[in-house]
Amino acid sequence: MELLIASSSVADAGIGCWDLESGAEQLRYKSCASPPHGLACVGQRFLASSQLREQPSASSGSILYWSWSKVEVKSLPAEPIKPIAANSHGTYIAGGGQSGDIYMWEVASGRLLKKWHAHYRAVTCLVFSQDGSFLISGSEDGCVRIWSLLTVFEECESQRASHLYLHSFTGHTLRITDIVIGYGGVSATIVSASEDRTCKVWSLLKGRLLRNIVFPSVIDAIALDPAEHVFYAGSRDGSIYIAALNAESPSTSSYGMHIIGSLSDHSKAVTCLAYSTGDLLISGSEDGMVRVWDPITHNIVRMFRLAKGPVNNILVVRRPLYLNLGSFSNPHTSSRRHGSQLPPPLDKYVTSADEDVDNKGVIRLPSLYNAPRDASYISHRTIDNHLKELQQQGSSAATEMEVERLKHECNRTLQMVQQWKKMYENLHEFCVNELLDGDQVDGSKRNAV
Amino acid sequence: MARSKAASKKQQKQQQKRGVDFKKIKRKLGRKLPPPKNATNTEVKSKAIVLPEQSVASEKAGLAVSKKGLTLKELLQQTSHHNSKVRRDALMGLKDLFQKYPAELRSHRYAVIEKLRERIGDDDKVVRETLYQLLKTVVFPGCKEDNQGPFVSLMVAYIFNAMTHLAVDVRLMAFKFFDLVVQYYPPSFSLYADKVLQNYEDILRKNQFYLEDKAKLRSALAGLVRCLSLLPCNKRKVDSSEENMAGQKILHAFELDMPAESSGFSSITKKLKDLVPVLVNCFQDFFPSVHHMPLLDAQSFDCMHSILQSIDLVVGFFGYGIHQGKPASQLSYEGPDEAIWDHTISSLLLKKLFGVFPLNPTNHLSEKVDDRFFILNIVITEIFLRCSEWICPPGFLLEKFLQYIENALLGSVRPAVTHGPVKQFGRNIYFFCCLLFQSLCCKWQVIGSLVFFSNCGANHNNGILQAFTKIFEGCNPQSSLKLACLSAIEEMLIPGDDMVYPDASDPLFEYQITWIRALPQLLILLGDKHPSSSQVVLHLLLRLGQCANSSSPFSREYENMQYSLDKFYSSCVDRGDVYYGPFIRLSWDSQELAICGLYYFSNLGPFLLKSIAFCCLCSELEHLVLFRIIEVLHSAFSAGHIQIADYISFFMTLLSRFKVLPENIYPDVESDAKISNRGTFKLLTNTVCSCLSRIGDDSLVFQILEQVIFDQLLLKPPLDNACALLRVLVVLDCKPTRLSEQGIITLSKYLSGYLFEVVHCIPEDDEENSLPTHQQTCCYYMLPCFFLFDRSPKLLKLVLNLMGSLITESSSSPSSHSYTQYGNDNSNQINAVVSALLLMHKDTKVRKIISSFKEEVVHILQIIHSLQVKFLVTGNPENGLAVITYTYDLSGRSQVTSFSLSG
Repeated sequence: MELLIASSSVADAGIGCWDLESGAEQLRYKSCASPPHGLACVGQRFLASSQLREQPSASSGSILYWSWSKVEVKSLPAEPIKPIAANSHGTYIAGGGQSGDIYMWEVASGRLLKKWHAHYRAVTCLVFSQDGSFLISGSEDGCVRIWSLLTVFEECESQRASHLYLHSFTGHTLRITDIVIGYGGVSATIVSASEDRTCKVWSLLKGRLLRNIVFPSVIDAIALDPAEHVFYAGSRDGSIYIAALNAESPSTSSYGMHIIGSLSDHSKAVTCLAYSTGDLLISGSEDGMVRVWDPITHNIVRMFRLAKGPVNNILVVRRPLYLNLGSFSNPHTSSRRHGSQLPPPLDKYVTSADEDVDNKGVIRLPSLYNAPRDASYISHRTIDNHLKELQQQGSSAATEMEVERLKHECNRTLQMVQQWKKMYENLHEFCVNELLDGDQVDGSKRNAV
Repeated sequence: MARSKAASKKQQKQQQKRGVDFKKIKRKLGRKLPPPKNATNTEVKSKAIVLPEQSVASEKAGLAVSKKGLTLKELLQQTSHHNSKVRRDALMGLKDLFQKYPAELRSHRYAVIEKLRERIGDDDKVVRETLYQLLKTVVFPGCKEDNQGPFVSLMVAYIFNAMTHLAVDVRLMAFKFFDLVVQYYPPSFSLYADKVLQNYEDILRKNQFYLEDKAKLRSALAGLVRCLSLLPCNKRKVDSSEENMAGQKILHAFELDMPAESSGFSSITKKLKDLVPVLVNCFQDFFPSVHHMPLLDAQSFDCMHSILQSIDLVVGFFGYGIHQGKPASQLSYEGPDEAIWDHTISSLLLKKLFGVFPLNPTNHLSEKVDDRFFILNIVITEIFLRCSEWICPPGFLLEKFLQYIENALLGSVRPAVTHGPVKQFGRNIYFFCCLLFQSLCCKWQVIGSLVFFSNCGANHNNGILQAFTKIFEGCNPQSSLKLACLSAIEEMLIPGDDMVYPDASDPLFEYQITWIRALPQLLILLGDKHPSSSQVVLHLLLRLGQCANSSSPFSREYENMQYSLDKFYSSCVDRGDVYYGPFIRLSWDSQELAICGLYYFSNLGPFLLKSIAFCCLCSELEHLVLFRIIEVLHSAFSAGHIQIADYISFFMTLLSRFKVLPENIYPDVESDAKISNRGTFKLLTNTVCSCLSRIGDDSLVFQILEQVIFDQLLLKPPLDNACALLRVLVVLDCKPTRLSEQGIITLSKYLSGYLFEVVHCIPEDDEENSLPTHQQTCCYYMLPCFFLFDRSPKLLKLVLNLMGSLITESSSSPSSHSYTQYGNDNSNQINAVVSALLLMHKDTKVRKIISSFKEEVVHILQIIHSLQVKFLVTGNPENGLAVITYTYDLSGRSQVTSFSLSG
């Protein structure tokens, strides 16, 4: 149950979505012109795509969201963003700017958590590691840098070290075209492709070059075999080369060192590659076709037509269970039902007021597996609101109590006053009586005298 | 025993007794004469001779033996002989044996080393020396490729034992042995660092020994330097060593279980701290010899140099620990950074080392001595620079050092350095200077020129920079000094990890600009004779380009560089002659670097593009490089670094000016790439077409290109170039055509000529045209025309009309100026028209189109027919035949014509 999602840079082709098994077209979102590496599936919930800018003035590098039913949210970052990436849970979106800055947003709130200067030149691709703890960025200046998110967000850590990045690989001489990272957490293997016709294999753990493979043409896309025995490299001459990752390949190969073979049918350059868990290799080409290969037999299994222009991105995502065909036939109801599920747009600037709260992290409520619609993130801000409310409620009760207390006091005082009055009256009466009695005694005495 | 003896005595007695019975009566007849003096003693004595060697000799037949015929086992036994000469001979024998039979060593290496290690602490000097030679020349090189860990561990125990020997000689020699071990197995230092440093400390403390035996001490200190140089002290160095390891074959290989660096060096910080005062004291002990002896002898100098180098390395290691945020934490120092660099060391250095700086010879005796002092001073300066960050030296000291550096750079300290017999030596010195400067500049970046500017003002920095610039500009382009300068410049130009660029107010900035401007000149000066230097410069340029984005202050300089770089590629001299720069003849690596550098110009102008285009047209250039250039330029274009007009005109220049050799088209030869570059040109055409179609909106590109291509076509380029241009047109065109009305008319005029030319240029082998190569060749040239005809039938009509009118024109006025040079002759022209028609007719698609223009064809045929009649009258039957063939074809295959063949 996997969906194949492909996007093109031609706006009227937009994003196409097919069922990989049946080959049936499921969705088509128009008016999306995404650059290479500019499409990301955010936590299996919705799609995000950065936009090529057609005219310098119009919608300069915006980022659009699509939920499975076509509702879009548009956000305008501070500068044109080309590559974007989301971590596997869909908590963060990272975007690379033209000036070499990397932006990091929190999806649930849309807040810009951090922005930092990462490269000399424009960032060309961004990849999260499988566990989401590393971000790998490639740049136009041929530099690949690995960022540990822990270091990036830890204030003191970043101030102490002379540089933010964990490793900086400067082996490539030209623009980085693609990066993939394998499994294995901190000891994963990274493969980067560049316009200098080479792919380089790096070790994340040791931070050094493991292998350099020179191809006959520029490699624009790479995909890793799940077992990491080989990787596939889609080149501009239209063929997909298979390069060895572990075994020492015989140097007699006709293509060059470490290149085992090739898949070839494309008349035009291969622009993107993806590997599905069903052991299928999917390639997008400059002629607008998406081809599905069987990597064992080297045959084409299926072909989809996306656009006239180049296919820029391919994603393979597991099909959300709630996404049944019914919702496709009736998109309006579904949009009415779920339209409000998309998170707010991404912020343009880092808000300074919240800076102290920025790094506190996000609390995610546990959700049922099959109910992703309602599984939303609740950020710490919600909690803050709750707390504030509680505090406010608490204080009003306290004042009430205070009033009660005061009333009570008042009553008591009043009672006291009454008592005092009574006593005074008694005393007065007594005195008057005494005086009167005295007079009477005096009078009687005088009378007696 | 006693009993048996007694028994034997008895027997003797019995014999004597028995002898009494038969008593022999001796008669004395006279005294026996004494033997004559010349008598020969005939007595023969014999003794058993034991010759064990000979007895074993037969068994030794298959064994490896030394020169003296001793086996390995015997030799090893003899190494522990009590006689020192025998031991020495045994060692010599071993050396001999192993040299002859290396396999012997490999199979018995553990046994051998177990025996040999006992001799490390040998009392005899010669034996130790021989052992050292044996290990150095034979044993270690022979065991190099094996796993050396256990092998070394067998030895070090004995080495450490010898290090604490009573005899000083043995001790010093032990250090030499350890040096050897480290040389062949570097990790051993980190394994035993603790012990070794302790031993060094001990021996250096007992200074009464070494002042006498400087030669020994020198070698021991050299060993210390080697050990300490294994400490991590410079991150860039570490990086470069890692780059070298990239060539390994297996990706996830099992790694040798070497101890990790962090564990190896974490514990020795304290030891190193203890070592520094000892070294400094030791250095001071040499002072009297410096001051009292008339000249500094080589051995003391070497000792002092080694001591200083050791201090330098230790200080560097401390600095590394402090500086690297991450490695420092990995090295697990307890407490804050101050723990590494405590004040006792800094005050010690300040007082005892920097206080005496600069060391001056008491009297100037020879240049050699001066040079020695200079080197010592340089090393002290280096130490100073390394630790100036932490100890905050007083101002006057800083002043003193900066003054010295400035003087050194300006050459006022050593004016005689640049010429005379010490030239080579002087170069080394300057190399030192550059290294020094490099570290200085590192600091500038790291601490933001804090110490240097606040403490002593900018005048010295200016002076130093000025001096450096002067050296950089003055020195020979191919010298090693230039290389050193370049690496120093790289340090200073490329912003470090914090990515902070110097601002324009910084005095450094001004010099940086100067250096950048000097680079292209240097590149051109270097030419193609010094590929390694060129590569360094190109690499620097590339790095510069990579970080010269719009926010960088260097971006403008980098942009301007393209005006001076053109000579590197090629430059156009008058009369169309092209002078090719060094680029063409450089190695592939350098060319690659240069091409990559092009990508980073944010606006690659027509000026440089023109120069590159000339380069591309050069026949000497490898075609791989040519395609690489196009690839990178395409990347640059798609990144918006090249204007579309410049980009297109670059391609047009390539296609229209490319010289295809040989000019004649021979189908057979074509496949031979060595003779003809036609294949390359075809590839080039394809590449250009794909690049142009990738620009974007085809119709727009077509509009831009249309006029340009027509202009080029009207200049009548050679057939191949014309074909390439037509192909470009076809690739960008679509069905129905995008050609404008005017364009169709222009094109039709050209195409009619082009068709003639194709038919004429490609020689027909035989009547049948059966050769597939020939057909392919025809096809290649005709195909763009066919596409155009397919898309615009009007074009075909015009072309046909023109063909018809051409024939009439030429027939009516044979001498008049005709459109094509091949059409001068009337009969030729008719031939050409007919073959062109035939070719078109062969292609099924075109045949269909042509069938819709029956009238035009018929018209042509009529003309031809009329001419034919004329020819028949005048007597020229061959043309008639051609027409007949064609009409026959037409009638036979498609029944278009009802033309009668009468005539």
